[in-house]
Amino acid sequence: MKRSGEKFRRGGSKRRGGRSDEPATASKAPVSSEPVRHPTQTREVKQLLAGIGAPPPAPFKPDPFQLEALAALEFEDILVTAPTGSGKTWIAQEAIRALLNEGRRAWYTTPLKALTNSKYQEFIDQFGANQVGILTGDRKENPDASLIVGTTEIYRNQLFDSLRGGSEVHADLVVLDEAHYLADEDRGHVWEEAIILTPPRIRLLLLSATVGNADVFAEWLEEVRGVHCGVVSRPGARPVPLRAALLLPDKRLMPLLSEAGRLNPEILQMGERAREERMRSRPGRRRLY
Amino acid sequence: MPEMPAPILLSALGSYNLLPAIVFLPTRRRCDQAASEAALSRRDPSAERREARRKFMEEFVTIHPEIRGHRHWSLIIKGAVASHHAGHIPAWKLAIEKLMSAGLLDAIFATATVAAGVDFPARTVVLTGSEARTGSGWRQFTASELQQMTGRAGRRGRDRVGFIVAAPGLHQDPQKIAELLKAPPDPLVSQFRATYSTLLNLLDAFGSFAHIREVAEKSFAHRDAIGRIKSLLAHRAENEARIEEKLKEASIDLPLSGVLGFERLVSARSRLQEFQPQTRAEVLQRWLHNVVQPGRVVGIGRSGRRLVLVTERRDGSVAGVREDGRRASFPLERIGRVYSPVYHPNLNATEAVFDEIHARGRELVIPEPRLSEVRAEETDALQVMDDLIGSLTPASSGIDRERLTELLWGLMADAEAIERATRRVEALRDEVWQPFAQHARVLAHFGYLDFETEKVTGRGRWLADLRIDRPLLVGEALESGILASLDLPLMIAVMAALTADEDRDYGELELSDSLVTALTAFENVGFSVATEEWKHGVEPTPELNFSAAGAAFRWASGVEWSTLVADTRAEEGDLYRMLSRTGEALLQIAGLKRVHSQAAQTAANAAEVVLREPVR
Repeated sequence: MKRSGEKFRRGGSKRRGGRSDEPATASKAPVSSEPVRHPTQTREVKQLLAGIGAPPPAPFKPDPFQLEALAALEFEDILVTAPTGSGKTWIAQEAIRALLNEGRRAWYTTPLKALTNSKYQEFIDQFGANQVGILTGDRKENPDASLIVGTTEIYRNQLFDSLRGGSEVHADLVVLDEAHYLADEDRGHVWEEAIILTPPRIRLLLLSATVGNADVFAEWLEEVRGVHCGVVSRPGARPVPLRAALLLPDKRLMPLLSEAGRLNPEILQMGERAREERMRSRPGRRRLY
Repeated sequence: MPEMPAPILLSALGSYNLLPAIVFLPTRRRCDQAASEAALSRRDPSAERREARRKFMEEFVTIHPEIRGHRHWSLIIKGAVASHHAGHIPAWKLAIEKLMSAGLLDAIFATATVAAGVDFPARTVVLTGSEARTGSGWRQFTASELQQMTGRAGRRGRDRVGFIVAAPGLHQDPQKIAELLKAPPDPLVSQFRATYSTLLNLLDAFGSFAHIREVAEKSFAHRDAIGRIKSLLAHRAENEARIEEKLKEASIDLPLSGVLGFERLVSARSRLQEFQPQTRAEVLQRWLHNVVQPGRVVGIGRSGRRLVLVTERRDGSVAGVREDGRRASFPLERIGRVYSPVYHPNLNATEAVFDEIHARGRELVIPEPRLSEVRAEETDALQVMDDLIGSLTPASSGIDRERLTELLWGLMADAEAIERATRRVEALRDEVWQPFAQHARVLAHFGYLDFETEKVTGRGRWLADLRIDRPLLVGEALESGILASLDLPLMIAVMAALTADEDRDYGELELSDSLVTALTAFENVGFSVATEEWKHGVEPTPELNFSAAGAAFRWASGVEWSTLVADTRAEEGDLYRMLSRTGEALLQIAGLKRVHSQAAQTAANAAEVVLREPVR
């Protein structure tokens, strides 16, 4: 086992030098994404790994779902559901850009301090430091800026303060990032309170991971706020296609799923064989395949 | 099958060109181990990338000096691998995220709970299991959890395809992973609940409970309830129509309410019968359930000779202090004797409590109920019910009594369904508001609001401004003057004990006498709050975390971060979060300048001490 490990590592290192998808080496290594040769590579595995590597560089072009969300936000609240990394932030960013250009104001809430800090930096890079402020439990900078980034708790507290003081929250758009935090056991209630207490004149943009009941959630928003709430989901769900594989203890790789999307029958058989063997040798002890 | 050693896993992935990868592991420890093992037996052959990492880290450390000399430094530089989980401080995690997105790392070992929204995709996501570790064992991943993990496979613009690889592991079931990949995402489930803060702020804003109820009934949770209420009412109407039709068919002139009354009596009778205790043990158990409460002294064992002052009770389990001052917890049924007085468990005064019990135990003990007595009472009640049921089907009404009884029994199922629906509808209507009413009663007890006039008091107004986790406890500590009496390090330590996660370990530093005294005073406040909460059905606030107090006290003395980490041997990320939250809580108290100037002043200075680099 050990020896073969070394062999593989050597093999791996050779490739790593010429890997095409590292930006640092991309320019001088046009070897590209030709599938890697491997001793046990069957046709099945080749198919599984086909196309691995970096796509040719392409200029950024917004996805249709991003444009759809942006256009709809002109007229109604919007719930965007899409997986991480598929470009939800771009929608918020462009909506905010348009708003700031008109001299209006926005609030951007996140569930985590770390996330708040990184969004703050991102927005400063986009809109300039004088346009952006940050409010967290222990950080307060430029609190009168046109765009405020902060934790959802702080935004909810501002709603409390405005209700008690009879004043208004100074925002035309509120973005709730990671809106699925509504289901968080400890803190989820804060999201509900924020949604219920946000005056209907303020546009809401909710960015959420994919959830099973987006339509029900949007219906609720509409009932509570009296403003129509549209749902925009990313079709096909993922920006980069996903393939699933099973790695075996002998380092063989095989597709996890059959073409019908069910468990690869070969794996099923393997599991059954292993179970039978174990039943024979050590009855009564239950282990996973 | 057993987990694959990290070096072999990475070499296998490398041979298929599947790096960089994020490898999900069940615990923080496993992540650190895997990263160390992997780094030991691999060396990034590209001097260029090694140099790039070194350069990046050297630059990063000038902005975040707290990561200088981090124990995983060389793993990153040499091995191009890292571990990423909540045990690391934010600056370290940030460095790793940046290295990963610059394409300078081959693998990250992370826990499945890796913070949402932190975006560091890779070509491949490796799942070493289909189950997640919980406090008490293992449970299967939910569809959403798996999606959160697999969502990191495939970098936009840098990968044409992303991969998820199910790797060998003890808690691995490829079939489950295949199922979860196909499963629809989990629905959003509301976690709406009542809190003191929300209650006080809304009451101060709106000036009536009705308004708060309105807000609560807008919640996503209540929306479900509205749906269920509607369908329950529809079913109930169907049942009612059916009963009326049957009465008409039988041409019996009895109103619907008569049928429902009959059902109520019959089911009350059977409930009473069912509830009648059959054994002495049952009688005792039920009695203990009623009399054992915090503040009472109980005797353990059949003889009841070992005494314990009860400090906490949750259903069948009891916790308290023994005569020798040590803590004890035991199941309810081990109690053999209960004494009637309810003491304030000032943990310094327990001696006097036990002395009194020893001196006057005989007259203070609550007599145990006897099976025969209990039974006699309930047998009497059953007789009364039988008479009532008889009187509902009177011979004098002119209806054939036998026929009527038969018909009534025939309608029982429908009538029962109606009763059930009615009770359920009432419960559902109250479900969302009830917790607010309970919280309001506790606040009223301590004078933060007036229950009758539905107004927030002056005291309640500043408590509404205190946006921290356990505002009532802190409010009471402020009102009683305890917080104002503390010096700066003590205030830091006490607030840390209160803000920290209840059961997390921040090391076992020895606590000074003054700190123990301060914490005990705070615990007593906590006890009086918890007693009131318990009385009104509000989930009592969790216990103070003494280990957090010890760690924060050390931090308050001005030590370096590295010293604090070394002394406590706690995980850096845990320390960081605990101190950062402590600082936030102190800032909140610092805002109460007008009403609690002394405490606010100390808190303001304390916050500055706590929130020094690298905590911010």
